Amino acid sequence: MGNNAARGLLVVARRNKGPVTRIDATSYSLNIDSDDRKTLHTLLDQLRDVLMNDSSSDIARRLFPAAYHQDEQHEQEYQRLMRDELLSSRLSSLSLATSLLEREATAGKVELTADELDALMRSINSLRLVLGTLLDVDEDEFDAHLEEGDPAYGQYQLYSYLGWLLDWIVTAQTEFN
Amino acid sequence: MRVRRRGTYDQKTVMELLVERREPQAQATALKQWLPIGALPHRSRTHRDSRQNDGVALPRLSNTDVRPIEVVDPGTDIAPDTDRPWIVLVWNDPINLMSYVTLVLQKLFGYSLEKATELMLDVHNKGRAVVSSGTRERTEFDVYRLHEHGLWATMQREDS
Repeated sequence: MGNNAARGLLVVARRNKGPVTRIDATSYSLNIDSDDRKTLHTLLDQLRDVLMNDSSSDIARRLFPAAYHQDEQHEQEYQRLMRDELLSSRLSSLSLATSLLEREATAGKVELTADELDALMRSINSLRLVLGTLLDVDEDEFDAHLEEGDPAYGQYQLYSYLGWLLDWIVTAQTEFN
Repeated sequence: MRVRRRGTYDQKTVMELLVERREPQAQATALKQWLPIGALPHRSRTHRDSRQNDGVALPRLSNTDVRPIEVVDPGTDIAPDTDRPWIVLVWNDPINLMSYVTLVLQKLFGYSLEKATELMLDVHNKGRAVVSSGTRERTEFDVYRLHEHGLWATMQREDS
C-alpha cells in the first residue's frame, strides 16, 4: 500500500504540473504563462479571420466538411441549413476562449468552467485542423520536420505544442472520471 | 490520427518552442513564416492524389490524405426514401488526436471509455467507423455535432 500511495502522490504531483489541471467536478485551471496566453489569443484571432473571410479554400472545407458525401442534393440542403449554424458555433467558442485568455491570472493560473474549457479545447482543435491542413501533415514524415534546419521547423513546433496542450486538456477531463 | 506522447515537452513558452536553438535572424524568420496563418504556403499534395483506397469506394480519410470529401453527383439515381436507417461514419485523418476523438465520442454519444476507444481504433486502423445510426434527422444532428468538434463525419443510408 505504501508504494502504491507514494506512486499515487507522484502521479498527482506530475498532473499538477500540467498546463491544464482539474480543480473539481466543474472547474479547471489553465497554468500557462502570460506570453503563451497572448500568443494563443493572437492565433485564435487569426482563426476567426479565416472563418469570417475564407469560405472556399481547403481550410474552409476542412472546417466545414460535407455531411452527405454520396448525395449532392441532400448535401446542398444540409449546407444551406447548417453551415451558418456551424460558423456561429465556432465563432462563439472562439469568443469564449479568447475572453478567458484575457483574464488576469492568479499565481500564474486562470480558473475555467467546464464550458470554457470545452470552448478552448474545440478552438485549439480547430487551430490544429487549419495548421495541419496548411502543412499537409503526414505521420510518416512528421518527426523529420521537427529537426532543426527543416524549413517548416517553427510551424511544426507550434503544431506540436498545440497538440501537447490539447492532449492535456483531454486528460484533465478524463483521468479523474 | 496522431498519438500524442505526453511529456515530450517541458512547460516552455510558445516563443521558446518556436525559436529554440535558433540564431536571432532565424528566430525572426520562423515567426514570420508562421504569422499570419492565412499567409502560410500551402504545400503541394499532388504526389498523394494517385494513392489508392484499398477498394473502399467512399473517400477514405487515411493517415496520408487530408483532402476534403468530394461530393459525388448522383444524377437521377436518387434513392427513394425507405425504412432503412441512416448511419454516421467517422473517417480517419492525420490531425485529430486519438485521445481527443475518444473523448468526443464519449461526450457526444455517452459511450463508455472501452466502447469509445474501440470505435476510435476502428477509425484509426480501418479508416472509418460507424458511430451512430437512426433517423435522418437524428443522424444529421449527430454529424453536425461531430463537425462542431472537428471530426470528419458523414452520413448515408445503411448498406448504401
